[in-house]
Amino acid sequence: MPTSSTERARRRHVIDLDDFSSAEIEEILTTAESMKEVLSREIKQVPALRGRTIVNMFYEDSTRTRISFELAARALSANIVNFSARGSSVEKGESLVDTVRTLQALGADIVVMRHSQSGAPYLVAQHFRGSVINAGDGRHAHPTQALLDLYTMREHLGQIGGLHVLIVGDVLHSRVARSNLWGLTRMGARVTLCGPATLLGPPAYWTATWPEVTISYQLDAVLDSADVVMLLRLQKERQQAGLLPSLREYTRLYGLTPERLARLGKRVLIMHPGPMNEGVEISPEAATAPNAVIEEQATNGVAVRMALLYRLAG
Amino acid sequence: MRYLIKNGSIIDPAQRVATVGDVLVTDGKVERLFEIADRAEEQHVLGDDVEIIDARGAVVAPGFTDLHTYLRQPGEEHKETIASGTLAAAHGGFTTVCAMPTEHPTHDTAATVRLVQELARREGHVHVDVIGALTVGREGRVLADLAELAEAGCIAFSDGDRALSDAALMRHALTYAAALGLPVMSLCQEARLSAGWAMHEGAVSTRLGLPGCPAAAEEAQIARDIALAELTGAHLHICQVSTAGGVALIRAARARGVRVTAEVSPHHLTLTDRWVLGNLAIHDPAPVASSAQRRQSNPHPELGLPSWLDPTRLPPYDPSTRVCPPLRTEEDIEALAEGLRDGTIDAIATGHSPQSRVEKECEYGLAAPGISGLETALALVLSLVHRGEMDLVDVVARLTEGPAQVLGRSPATLRPGARADIVIFDPDAAWTVDATRFVSRGQNTPLHGQRLKGQVMLTMAGGNIVFRRDGFGAPDAKPAH
Repeated sequence: MPTSSTERARRRHVIDLDDFSSAEIEEILTTAESMKEVLSREIKQVPALRGRTIVNMFYEDSTRTRISFELAARALSANIVNFSARGSSVEKGESLVDTVRTLQALGADIVVMRHSQSGAPYLVAQHFRGSVINAGDGRHAHPTQALLDLYTMREHLGQIGGLHVLIVGDVLHSRVARSNLWGLTRMGARVTLCGPATLLGPPAYWTATWPEVTISYQLDAVLDSADVVMLLRLQKERQQAGLLPSLREYTRLYGLTPERLARLGKRVLIMHPGPMNEGVEISPEAATAPNAVIEEQATNGVAVRMALLYRLAG
Repeated sequence: MRYLIKNGSIIDPAQRVATVGDVLVTDGKVERLFEIADRAEEQHVLGDDVEIIDARGAVVAPGFTDLHTYLRQPGEEHKETIASGTLAAAHGGFTTVCAMPTEHPTHDTAATVRLVQELARREGHVHVDVIGALTVGREGRVLADLAELAEAGCIAFSDGDRALSDAALMRHALTYAAALGLPVMSLCQEARLSAGWAMHEGAVSTRLGLPGCPAAAEEAQIARDIALAELTGAHLHICQVSTAGGVALIRAARARGVRVTAEVSPHHLTLTDRWVLGNLAIHDPAPVASSAQRRQSNPHPELGLPSWLDPTRLPPYDPSTRVCPPLRTEEDIEALAEGLRDGTIDAIATGHSPQSRVEKECEYGLAAPGISGLETALALVLSLVHRGEMDLVDVVARLTEGPAQVLGRSPATLRPGARADIVIFDPDAAWTVDATRFVSRGQNTPLHGQRLKGQVMLTMAGGNIVFRRDGFGAPDAKPAH
């Protein structure tokens, strides 16, 4: 594997991509290629993490992310334990810090965590001697999702530098968008955030951290220059909260409809972190188009997570 | 008992006095103030029973009044008690604290108010005034028995950090309180705009993915409350102003004669939402770099202090930075300091909100807001003086005269005959904040580990020494008389 031991020693946690250099991202993507090769074998397992214990600590339901980590851990021969907040000591009022101390005492090496509160992984990292991988926290970050998105883009389009990536939809509440912003800008892509103004917030809030980013309220004005169109899941409660007039209007202005699909070049990637609201942010035609790589994103997720686990535990 | 506080730099805003001299305290009252020229006379006046406190190099001022203190007793004694909170006040140079309604039970009946008064009389280290709840249970639905609370001795009415969202009820509250001659203290946050907030809404909250409270949430409610104060003629006091827009609204209202006063906290004057970012790197250096440059134009470089406090010592999302209202921006800080300088903001009030570890050692968005502020207040505000942004006399005035004016009483002073509420502080003493050594039960402060300058040396309340640092001013330390 291409990682030098000094760099490997430096990284203990994966909480967001804000502290990743482009070189480190490149290395992970390259490692993930080897991992993907492992996954294509008949026996999809290597002994790299034998004897290590990984805890999947999910305070918020996410079957697909949890299973993806579980498969990645098993492919590396690690022991993996699933811990769900539901029906656990958490429901009896145990604090996050207490829970982490217990996992520490039980011998966990890596905690993979999903939490509804932004920043929760930083708290865990302060109280845990092993490694923390953020599998999504509040609206803050979802670094493994962003890495698998980068992997998928690189696999199909050769390189990420110079691409124009549209991130469309509820950017304000999206941890996927934030982590992708770090990863994409670090790798030299051009990013446009597109959606209703109520789901973006003032542009200056974004450009203060990501000066390169462009904000657009009109999908049709930016669609034609895109290399990648990444659609975000629209939570239907945003409409009830008064952020949107109607789902119908949202779909008309920001949905990847068959008409917009027809305008896209064949090489333009259609991506979605899932689960999709078909007929809202993405039409069934777009979701199953030849240039839609939504299922591949899921496959690549396992390889990318293997690469990260390997890097942290190696 | 008699004390002679010698050779201090005396600052008494109420008398417009700033001089070097001695203060003689007899039987709980200030007997005389001697300037250097009065020395010969001083020898004559002194008897044998005088304890001399050498205050050379220190400032001697009237004791401070804090308009906004949570003592948490009765009900939340694990966070603070009247004994621990008033001792923290003494350590901070405050000789009077105004106790905000507790959580449960709250100050909505005369019985609770009398309990607090009784506990304060028995166990308090400094004077305690009680602020009555504005509404029953601080729930914002029904007015508390305001007249009975006034009879019991409440000095103002407030629902503390719960903003009253019902505008009609706020109108009635102001009308009723005005007839009783007491102010209504309002912490302004529009309920829907601030719903679910974790921090100030802006670039930092966007980066961190934390739900934000926009400055407009405060400004909208201040504007509403000012309109209602104008309508009713009542005395409205705005608590813990945190935004530039809020200062502008108050300034304009005062200019047209509305009876509105205001306070600002030491932390809102000095810390920004950057502190929530902690040790995460800044990726657009422009706004912070420019302020850093401004800080470096420190007019006292010889003091050898860091030009500014350092937020990067904190981890990101440190709940100790979660306060109500939230920490705002550099622009807000500048406007708040300007408001304090020009008198738009009458008083500095700590907003002392002690929390236990349980409420703070958790996810940021779930943490209880609040800072344990009494013991760091003076040093934080003095940082404005050390940077040349504020005058020392003005700072003392905003800690003594200002709060008294808000309460409609004569200010603490060193005038002969006045109650001997006195603070002695060394504005240049540098120290490192160690929250684990706070006498307050609340150790919740983002300032832990920060180097501050300005330390209280001795506090006297009603002529009794309620705090004295390491034998400060003792006879063996002083040169022979």
